[in-house]
Amino acid sequence: MNFLEISRVAFMTAFLLYCAAFIFYVVAVTGKTWRNRDPKRHEKKWGRISFAVSSLGLLSHFVYCGTRWAYSGHVPVSNMYEFMTFLSMMIMVAFTIVFIIYRKILLGMFALPLAIIIMAYAAVFPRDVQPLIPSLRSIWLYIHVTLAATGEAFFAVGFVAGLMYLLRAVDFKATDKAGRRQKWWVEFTLFSIIIVLGFIVSVFAFRAAGYEAVFVQNQTTIDTQVEQNSTIEDKEVYNLPPIVGPHQSEPEHIQPFLGMKKPLFDAPSWMRGETAGRKLNTIIWAILTGIVLYLLLRLILRKPLGTALSPAVRGIDPDDLDEISYRAIAIGFPIFTLGALIFAMIWAQQAWGRFWGWDPKEVWALITWLFYSAYLHLRLSRGFQGRKSSWLAVLGFLVVMFTLVGVNLIIAGLHSYAGTD
Amino acid sequence: MIENTKCECGHQNRVGTVLCEACGKPLLEEDQQQGGLLEMRYDGVARRSQRANPNFIDRVWNFFSSVKVAIYLIIITLIGAMLGTIFEQESNFINFDPSTYYKNKYGTIGEIYYRLGLSHTYESWWFILLLVMIGASLVICSLDRVLPLYKALSKQKVRKHLAFLTRQKIVYQGEINEDGEEWVQRAVQPLRKKHYRVYTDGSALLAEKQRFSRWGPYIIHIGLIVFLLAVLFRGLPGLHLDKHYWFPEGEITHIPDTNLYLKNEKFSVEYYSEDEMSEDFKARGKVVPKLFETQAVLYECTADCDDPSKEPQLREVKRHAIRVNDPLSYKGLQAYQFDFDLTPKLRSVQPALVDVKTGESYGKFKLDMRNPEREYKVGPYRLTLQNKYMDFSLNDEGKPVSISGEPNAPAFLFLIKGPDLPEDGAQYIYFPKQIDKERFQQDAINEQLGGVQSKLRLDVLGMEDVDFIEASSYLNIRVDRAMPFVWVGLGIVMLGLVIGFYWQHRRIWLRVDGRQLTLGGHTTKNWFGMRREVSAFLQSMGVEADEKSLENRGKHP
Repeated sequence: MNFLEISRVAFMTAFLLYCAAFIFYVVAVTGKTWRNRDPKRHEKKWGRISFAVSSLGLLSHFVYCGTRWAYSGHVPVSNMYEFMTFLSMMIMVAFTIVFIIYRKILLGMFALPLAIIIMAYAAVFPRDVQPLIPSLRSIWLYIHVTLAATGEAFFAVGFVAGLMYLLRAVDFKATDKAGRRQKWWVEFTLFSIIIVLGFIVSVFAFRAAGYEAVFVQNQTTIDTQVEQNSTIEDKEVYNLPPIVGPHQSEPEHIQPFLGMKKPLFDAPSWMRGETAGRKLNTIIWAILTGIVLYLLLRLILRKPLGTALSPAVRGIDPDDLDEISYRAIAIGFPIFTLGALIFAMIWAQQAWGRFWGWDPKEVWALITWLFYSAYLHLRLSRGFQGRKSSWLAVLGFLVVMFTLVGVNLIIAGLHSYAGTD
Repeated sequence: MIENTKCECGHQNRVGTVLCEACGKPLLEEDQQQGGLLEMRYDGVARRSQRANPNFIDRVWNFFSSVKVAIYLIIITLIGAMLGTIFEQESNFINFDPSTYYKNKYGTIGEIYYRLGLSHTYESWWFILLLVMIGASLVICSLDRVLPLYKALSKQKVRKHLAFLTRQKIVYQGEINEDGEEWVQRAVQPLRKKHYRVYTDGSALLAEKQRFSRWGPYIIHIGLIVFLLAVLFRGLPGLHLDKHYWFPEGEITHIPDTNLYLKNEKFSVEYYSEDEMSEDFKARGKVVPKLFETQAVLYECTADCDDPSKEPQLREVKRHAIRVNDPLSYKGLQAYQFDFDLTPKLRSVQPALVDVKTGESYGKFKLDMRNPEREYKVGPYRLTLQNKYMDFSLNDEGKPVSISGEPNAPAFLFLIKGPDLPEDGAQYIYFPKQIDKERFQQDAINEQLGGVQSKLRLDVLGMEDVDFIEASSYLNIRVDRAMPFVWVGLGIVMLGLVIGFYWQHRRIWLRVDGRQLTLGGHTTKNWFGMRREVSAFLQSMGVEADEKSLENRGKHP
């Protein structure tokens, strides 16, 4: 058994332990009201078990990271799979730190699912160890990427606490306009998380079924030197049934799915980028699966998800949640600044000769930073606390996720080698 | 209208003061009746911008001193930056026409994007203006608050108004069974143990720690100003150079606009071997480069630098293997590994002048691609170089041009004089590379030029007459004199962030009136930890107070 195999086992172990810890946290929080129990003792006992299991999961996650590092010879943050796994590990680290400070068991019930979803999302990407290209062979890869991920992990905990605050503070029985709007947005936030879940579910379901569809895309390029047109055949492999085919392409072979033998329509002409059609197809699948999952949940619960979740947070003081959310962001902000901006600039200066080049990833890191600066100013100088501040924490994490994932999926740039296929 | 800003304790406050600078009593009329929590930012002092009769400069100052304006600026900049990432920026390309590119690639949306100037968002006047305004806001916001705050914090009164204490976010009130002054004296030690600085005034006490954390935000802003100024000054002429040049292997190449020469001794590319790849990755069959390296030697010109008739005198000053992530650096000049080309290029050829009819050779001469001589004598003929094209092409008007400085498709236009040729000579174009001869139809061009090709031709007779440049390296040459200031600015920002975010300014006020103990506590963040600390302190004094009960939510006046 070599290091790589150990790291794979450790990854699965960590994942399963997190899932178990999540269930224990749910038991710890909701079990208080069960009959024949002293709520305080129950919470203490199960809180301890849950935290032990989640810490064990984190330990296993560390083993994954260490063994993969030992095998590949570089810190495992060089492609999307490695980075997302690392991010979920840092979210668990951030959660553990915040938990040790505040001892709020409820936080685990919401932080664990986030780490689990991000870890599952990581598993969607190719898992092989890739050798580093020359521009990544630098000590700054270690420092810049890991620190940036740490800062973002604290923002994630800020998001979790912010969302919990909203579930706690929004009146789900309100019938006035403002109240209904708040309810709608909480529901929308939860729905967005379910879409991510839908993406993961659909990718894994069709992967397990071994689904494949291949398209041939003819790209005509004009060589200026020879002044002759040469046609290059591009093959595009879909692992999800094609609802959208690539722009101007011919299907080579498509496994029929529910009698669907050809794409329903082609990607619009302006989506000409590499793999644009496939990405659009994936997004459509994610949304469809997300809607199905959401409707199923609604059918089971027979009420909006926000309303269903709100009793779970009833026992916690909203002011504490507000403070946890702010505190996590305040811890993360300097780390993010150092990792995602300052060290990024030093590395960029060394590798590309300029510390700032308005590359989309750089711009989005700056946007994230500006957003959290605005958050801090609003909170410290304009008295944004509680609900407003929590909404900003939720929105901020959306910006973080767009910077990490959206930029790679939608806008390419110098950071595109982070592996998006 | 003249506001009465004199407090009942006798202190004359400035206009705009929220809490009396001396005793802390809330001064605003409506505030006194509300009885909610106190607004403690800047300790309730008047900011510089709060003047009775503002003039024009005051109004500009007031505009920039507003945090609200600063937040708007941040948000507008954020949205502007977002817009710039929708499509690629012009600066990503070297040779292209933006006026057609966006339209062709993205259709009408692209056209609109280009017309709006968003294809160069980050260089546009409004974006730079936004950054300048943020800079102004940073300076003015900071000055407006830091000076009054400094004054307020450096002369704090120990005994504060009762309303100041009871309207803090952490409040405790209770009876004690001993003399006030003694109780206060007894409280000094436990607080000192918690690293507080303690000041007493009879039966009143003030304990304070980590005040320096209050300066964190202002240090951040100073750092940002230094950073923004450095970035702004980078644009000044002479401070900044950013060019990409071609360095063929084995040649000494002059770096334009400097007195430096760089020799590319050897360029090498290394790829990962199969043993270095994981099993999964091997199966993909991809080749991944591991290293690009230019063995470079830097020379400084010591004499005859600008004289074209003489060879410049060079002195070696630096030797460095330039790699990605490891540039050569000499006196503020940096050379970065940017790109490479492994297609062999001609260094020189030795063509022979051949009589087409007899096949007789009149002799050969050495034609160096980069530095050909003006004139060659071959047998009875005299060849004058009229023009050279390193990378031959025909422009839209059908005229010959060179599209780059690299010998990708070299061509030489000679004027040949000698026997059997017209008096003032005949033109002859020569493509050393066989592929170019056919591509650009050398014979057809020469036919148009005067038909010399039926009498004479230039031809390379054997491979020993061809010399190749095996590899070439493209280096990015940069000079950036403002960089040290950029790093210093960022260093200051980081220092401020750590000070401001990882420490908190905590204060505890105490006063005993008769047997009534009143405690007020304030911290800049982490109320949770502060409550815990106050509760532990009270416990050590024999007063039981639950952490949660200390929290004042502004219910009681």
